[in-house]
Amino acid sequence: MITSEFEFFAPESLDEALALLGSGDEDVKVLSGGMSLVPMMRLGLVHPQKIVSLNRVQGMDLIEIRDDALFIGATARHARIATHGEIAARVPVLSMAASAIGDVQIRHRGTIGGSLAHADPAADYPTAMTALGARFHLRSADAQRTLTAESFFLDVMTTALAPEELLVGIEIPLPPAGSGYAHERLRRVEGAYPIVLATALIQPDRSSARLALGGVAGCPCLLELESTHLDGGDTALASIAQRAREAASGALADLNGSAEYRQAMAGVYARRAVSAALGRL
Amino acid sequence: MKAKLNLTVNGRAHELLVDTRAALVEVLRDELRFTGTHLGCGTGSCGACTVMVNGETMKSCCLLALDVDHAEVVTIEGLADGDRLHPVQQAFADHQGLQCGFCTPGMILSAVQLLAANPDPPEAEIRHAISGNYCRCTGYHFIVESIRAASAALRKQEQKA
Repeated sequence: MITSEFEFFAPESLDEALALLGSGDEDVKVLSGGMSLVPMMRLGLVHPQKIVSLNRVQGMDLIEIRDDALFIGATARHARIATHGEIAARVPVLSMAASAIGDVQIRHRGTIGGSLAHADPAADYPTAMTALGARFHLRSADAQRTLTAESFFLDVMTTALAPEELLVGIEIPLPPAGSGYAHERLRRVEGAYPIVLATALIQPDRSSARLALGGVAGCPCLLELESTHLDGGDTALASIAQRAREAASGALADLNGSAEYRQAMAGVYARRAVSAALGRL
Repeated sequence: MKAKLNLTVNGRAHELLVDTRAALVEVLRDELRFTGTHLGCGTGSCGACTVMVNGETMKSCCLLALDVDHAEVVTIEGLADGDRLHPVQQAFADHQGLQCGFCTPGMILSAVQLLAANPDPPEAEIRHAISGNYCRCTGYHFIVESIRAASAALRKQEQKA
């Protein structure tokens, strides 16, 4: 059970929610899906004095395609993203990433905005968003701004969000039709947190690719690959694996894996992601 | 700090005064005495606390009760029809889908959710669907068998209807 007292607010509009955050009070936590926040509170890892739930705010979960981009509202649940027909058709790597999160129960409640704002290196979306070149829309009571994934993720569970700001939506440029894609992750068992993740997106003509690696540093890291890497041959894949291991030098170490293990697995999963993505061209 | 909470549980409406800190699992078990929902890890991994909220399975230890105000909740107690077990419950009884029973209510609700979405799932899909429900006793084999049997029983029921 949660032992520290807190006030609970359930605003019914985004403006009301932003007003509640407006004081810039550090002891306020935003509750979206709660699949990370509530366990942390139950473990006594955080003791917010105020909780602002977004679950009564309408219209923050819209999913739509316009202007060559996919727009997803921050409170959209993983399950809906995982099964959304237009996302499956136009950004299938996002369907893959969303389907992989946690388990059925977690996906019914967890949200994309909550996951991104939490910025756990083990999470699926941060890596996928980095590969996709996503832009994040932030709002405060008085202002708004847009950040790239690279500018948004700063360190382990640390983002550029100011205390008075909310991540309200995510904008993903549509990959060209026929792109190769893959989202691969190492985890001990199904349902367990990933240890290392790799998302690969390959241009239909194999001219270039974006490979994002997660779980190996505080934030996802991005490797931009050229056509010479993308012929699918052993030498090319070996060189990708080598680049991934270099990118993962100084990798995180914890109970799930030493730095050396994560670094080695970065190479393995980079290879797997690129191979799988080439197979989907 | 207390606040008012409205919940419909297994078809009955309740108005309660609950602590802001209370998780749904605590309200169900301690206030409403629906002790079929179990509290295992308490941090969203094991799934023993799985209930349905507005038709979707969720881990009730990770839901602040106030955050599901006005929700319709179904617990394991809401599945049977009087003395008649739900076909999924019956299948678990007939096919040894449980030993200690601690994971079972959550496991059954996850199975009900799966079979509502896919009446004839292959084994891999069954295993994927219960990946949020941990069992320490059975090794999952008879749980999968029970769900397979339940799927057959429900499809047979559908055909008769």
